[in-house]
Amino acid sequence: MNYIFHILIMVFIYGILSLSLNLLVGYGGLLSLSHSAFYGIGAYATTLLLIKGVNFFPALIFSIFFTSILSFFIAYPSLRLKGDYFVLATLGFQIIVFSILYNWVGLTKGPYGIPGIPRPKIFNFELSTPFHYFIFSGIFFFIVFLFFRKLYNSPYGRVLKSIREDEIASASLGKDIPLIKIWAFVISCGICAISGSLYATYVTYIDPTSFTLDESIFIMSIVILGGSGNLKGPFIGTCFMIILPEILRFLGLPDTIAPNVRQIIYGLLLIILMKYRPSGIMGEYSLQ
Amino acid sequence: MEIIRLRNVGKSFGGIKAVNNINMDFLSGRITGLIGPNGAGKTTIFNLIGGFIKVDEGEIYFKNENITNLSPWEISKKGIGRIFQDIRVFKKLTVLENVLLGKSNAGEYPYNVFLRFKEVGKEEKENVERARYWIKFVGLEGMENTPAENLSYGQQKLLSIARLLMGEYEVLLLDEPTAGIHPEIVKKFIELMRKIVENGKTIIFIEHNMNIVSEIADWLFFLKEGEIYDMGKPGDILGNEEIRRIYMGLSDVKT
Repeated sequence: MNYIFHILIMVFIYGILSLSLNLLVGYGGLLSLSHSAFYGIGAYATTLLLIKGVNFFPALIFSIFFTSILSFFIAYPSLRLKGDYFVLATLGFQIIVFSILYNWVGLTKGPYGIPGIPRPKIFNFELSTPFHYFIFSGIFFFIVFLFFRKLYNSPYGRVLKSIREDEIASASLGKDIPLIKIWAFVISCGICAISGSLYATYVTYIDPTSFTLDESIFIMSIVILGGSGNLKGPFIGTCFMIILPEILRFLGLPDTIAPNVRQIIYGLLLIILMKYRPSGIMGEYSLQ
Repeated sequence: MEIIRLRNVGKSFGGIKAVNNINMDFLSGRITGLIGPNGAGKTTIFNLIGGFIKVDEGEIYFKNENITNLSPWEISKKGIGRIFQDIRVFKKLTVLENVLLGKSNAGEYPYNVFLRFKEVGKEEKENVERARYWIKFVGLEGMENTPAENLSYGQQKLLSIARLLMGEYEVLLLDEPTAGIHPEIVKKFIELMRKIVENGKTIIFIEHNMNIVSEIADWLFFLKEGEIYDMGKPGDILGNEEIRRIYMGLSDVKT
């Protein structure tokens, strides 16, 4: 049973990540490859405060603000770049953050990672079992889901979609494109920090290898596969990408080849899906 | 009063002078037409006024304020709206969403969505009402929830007009507004253009249909190879033999 809860907790954590990236990819048409960097920054910010004895909730709030402010300084120059150059700028940032997490041993303990991260406490009640954590992360997922639903159905969501469709037409209607994109980036990265905080306190150990470029690409593939531009897509994508590898475990493959075959099946499924459903499983917007 | 003034404006594309040292005054409360053969620089002038391309030389003034090289959204906010020759509706968005985007709303900033949600909700409600009015006006009622990509070319054009009208701009730049639209709607649109101008607003338009030009324009600029070849009242311009010769196929226009 704990195994199931574990998978569902990961669905919630990645669900939050993909919902937040969806704001950029599906609504703003901005491909960002630095999402795992912000996920990592959120995780480290919360962790460093927790091991100093700060409570989970203040640490979480600080980590959201810290990540948002940092993302502003990335967004401001890089969102002036167009299309492919923006992707490259976020790629560069991802590499820088990984490098810092890996090499600033004094702060992050570098490759050794930080073990023994305390679990959150709510009025002296410690979330010690996977079931507790399942409920806890589920509540966060639900709040984030409602937050994005409100945002997408607002005039702001509409303007973002218009930018994705046609920036020039949107500017001709008086929409301040750079500012609206910067907001999208800052909100998206701030929400990422929630995932980071949940992940760090759930696994109780973090090291930089959890926040690599591969991870960014993984989150991106969740959004693209599930279908960007609405709320269901990223969630379906998350279920697919997190649960599918677990199901493939039960294929009964010989241990020596199992991981490789799983990877191959997984890759093939992605290719097939993209061929037949280019806008994702639930998507209304294709990235072509 | 001159609402828009172009002073010695020039623009080159890779060595070709698309617009060459142009001085133009557009009077408020008038309908001014830009006509001329393809490649004369008409759309380039719209793009320069709207800030969509950078001015190489010269200045553009809007109500005596220098707006040269401001970004398109700033110029739009100041009160200059436009429709495009290639329409540019938001294809994946519905008709209603497209028209709603024509107007600014406090809820366009995410903090207002959560902090001033009551105000945003009220504004949105009013805007929806207005949007429905303009949708009905251009004859697209009943299609509010249809994605714009499912509309025909002419309907998309009407949609872009409704979106522009939603914005209550002081100056409207219309790039071939009537091309591809049913004659009945064209008639209605012409009436509307007159009404807009009666309310003190200004229209500058590019049009190839000389019957429409002669019917509604108060003043015309005839452009050729990026320069003003002639200007004047429609009767004088369209009656000019030389201009008729340059602009072929005009001999049957009544002036």
